[in-house]
Amino acid sequence: MTITTTEMGLAARVAGVSRRFGVGHGAVVALDDVSVGIRRGQFTAIMGPSGSGKSTLMHVMAGLDSSDNGSVWVGDTDITRLPDRDLTLLRRRRIGFVFQSFNLVPTLDARSNILLPFDLDGRKPNVDESRWIDSLVTTLGIADRLTHRPHELSGGQQQRVAIARALATRPDLVFADEPTGNLDSRSGREVLTLLTEACSRFGQSIAMVTHDPVAASYADRILFLADGRIVDERERSTPEQISAIMLAMEATR
Amino acid sequence: MRMRWREYRATILVAALSGAFGALLLQGTVLLTALVAGDSIGEKESVQLALGLVAVVFFAIAIFVGGIVTANTVGTVIAGRTRDIALLRLVGADARRLRASTARDGILVGLVGSLIGTVVGIGIMVGLVALGRSTGDLPETTPQLVTPMLVAPVVAVTLVTWLSSWVGSRRILAVSPIQASAAAVEPDADTVRSATGRRITAIALVAVGALLLAAGVVIGLVTMLGILVGMLGGILSFSGIVLAAPFVMPAVLRLVGRAMGSSPTARLAAENAVRNPARSSRATIGLVIGVTLVTMFAVATSSYYDMIVRASEQYPDDFAGVDETLAMTIGVFSVLFGFSAVIAAVGMVNTLSLSVLQRQRELGLLRALGFTAGQVRRMVLAEAAQMSVASVLFGLVLGVVYGWCGAQALLGSMLGGGLVAPSMPWFVLGGAVLVAAVLAAAASVAPARRATRVSPVAALAVD
Ligand SMILES: Nc1ncnc2c1ncn2[C@@H]1O[C@H](COP(=O)(O)OP(=O)(O)OP(=O)(O)O)[C@@H](O)[C@H]1O
Ligand SMILES: [Mg+2]
Repeated sequence: MTITTTEMGLAARVAGVSRRFGVGHGAVVALDDVSVGIRRGQFTAIMGPSGSGKSTLMHVMAGLDSSDNGSVWVGDTDITRLPDRDLTLLRRRRIGFVFQSFNLVPTLDARSNILLPFDLDGRKPNVDESRWIDSLVTTLGIADRLTHRPHELSGGQQQRVAIARALATRPDLVFADEPTGNLDSRSGREVLTLLTEACSRFGQSIAMVTHDPVAASYADRILFLADGRIVDERERSTPEQISAIMLAMEATR
Repeated sequence: MRMRWREYRATILVAALSGAFGALLLQGTVLLTALVAGDSIGEKESVQLALGLVAVVFFAIAIFVGGIVTANTVGTVIAGRTRDIALLRLVGADARRLRASTARDGILVGLVGSLIGTVVGIGIMVGLVALGRSTGDLPETTPQLVTPMLVAPVVAVTLVTWLSSWVGSRRILAVSPIQASAAAVEPDADTVRSATGRRITAIALVAVGALLLAAGVVIGLVTMLGILVGMLGGILSFSGIVLAAPFVMPAVLRLVGRAMGSSPTARLAAENAVRNPARSSRATIGLVIGVTLVTMFAVATSSYYDMIVRASEQYPDDFAGVDETLAMTIGVFSVLFGFSAVIAAVGMVNTLSLSVLQRQRELGLLRALGFTAGQVRRMVLAEAAQMSVASVLFGLVLGVVYGWCGAQALLGSMLGGGLVAPSMPWFVLGGAVLVAAVLAAAASVAPARRATRVSPVAALAVD
């Protein structure tokens, strides 16, 4: 009898996962035998140099991309060989995603983009969910932009709409790929506070990729990635400590 | 502005179809002239003139439709390449030069396509003649059909392809370097530009055209000359409608979309079809024109037929033997009109499937957010169905109006004429439904399958 992901206190987990792109000479190893878990109800930051495999790790964990070998669990579901349809339903009901770029459906306005996960499930938000969405929209400062279409929004506004969408259905698990990358420090802080609250108040598990030590200092736990491997792992740290680790990592490369 | 081969495919096909049609018409004219006109020189010339006129008219209609299709294809390709163009502009490329090179490519594509078409047309004619001889329908000696005149359709098709590439590439000028950096795809620069001017011109054209059409019908009750007034009205109002397509088509699409139900797939499809008026009008207007032409002709001849039947009941002596000739004429002309509709359909399938491919990222995003592959496929199919049903319906309505007006204006004064109700042959309706279904499937199944075969992340990475 193996111990389950839930019993480990994890919301998602990969074991021995590798991911190569291309073949032969030009092949790139984006993930190299990675085993790691995202703790349930915690805010996890993933850091690492550009090209170290952060986005790839999130895609594989969310079932958006397949791994070459190893296993992937979301909750207690082994999604490694899950049929596409089941995988899709799992994404729809249990996972929220904020991509690094191209987050919004260009033909839909901001409000419809936020409500898209409900639409996909063929239902409308109930009273409680509507109230939650309203508060999200207000906190994120996009209340007066709801009728605009993506090309009419700034990069940071698009990102905030995507965050609202990822949190709207209160999924168990939220992946956010540099959600504060396009934001000024004040809006960035608001987004980070929002994510922290989502964890503490609603027990959601959140994984966030960031290059910013200040952003990472909001997290309960920080994973460091380099060349497709997990090279370090810390509990909550100050921005200074995080910077020091990053600098040390760069020095040893 | 270099395009990829698959983006040229439809234009080559359209040019080839037009070229083949031209070659067939020309050879057919020569052959028929030799068969129909005996030996007298004078008779030969007048038959040749009459047949030649008919051939020129139908060829003109075909390359007109082909031109519109090509302009829309080029427009669609360019819409999908906005970011590439913006990047080129950003590093210093001259917009006018980009446009000129796109149009120049049109010459080459038109030439290649029409040459292929001509060769095919000659081949088909050789086959037909051999068949005719073996069944004894054609005499052993037929005139030389391959004449230097065959160069004419090639030149015409090439010029039209060039011109329509030029018109279709207008959009390049509106692309600003800024769009290279926009995170959202498809900034629809051309939906609002000069919208008011366009609207006013279109409304004026339709209003004046409709008045003239009505006048044509009234005058037609007295004299055949009503057709001249009516024709002018038809041309004006139809130009108005083509011009107004970006405003009119969304309304038609919305109507059809409402009938598709309220599942998330259907609703999203309905919104997609309407949200980008430029895109949907580009995809649909060619088919609207094709269906209008076919329906117009069918309704006109069928109304004509009704009048003849009525008249021959009243005055049996004057109309003896008219039935058979009429049926044959209708058959031949249907084929000739049908050809333009085929060109329009090719254009529609291509524009729709191109625009699905261009939306690969968007479809990837939907899949990432929880659309199943099946849902994405159904959505794309629903969009295509909505567009083809809308264009076929719109074309049917326009065709009935124009066909009836034409028949009235030309024949209302005829013996036993007067006002008759428009009559619609059942095969047109059945054909239209079939065409709409086939087109929707043809335009959406393959590209949607391709779009959902890759993982959502791979689709999102496509630029
Ligand atoms: N679709 C792909 N095809 C080929 N190589 C890829 C693909 N996606 C990622 N890679 C490669 O895999 C490696 C890891 O990419 P990934 O996007 O995960 O990096 P990242 O850590 O998110 O970087 P950044 O901070 O710049 O976003 C890179 O070397 C990248 O070039
Ligand atoms: Mg990344």
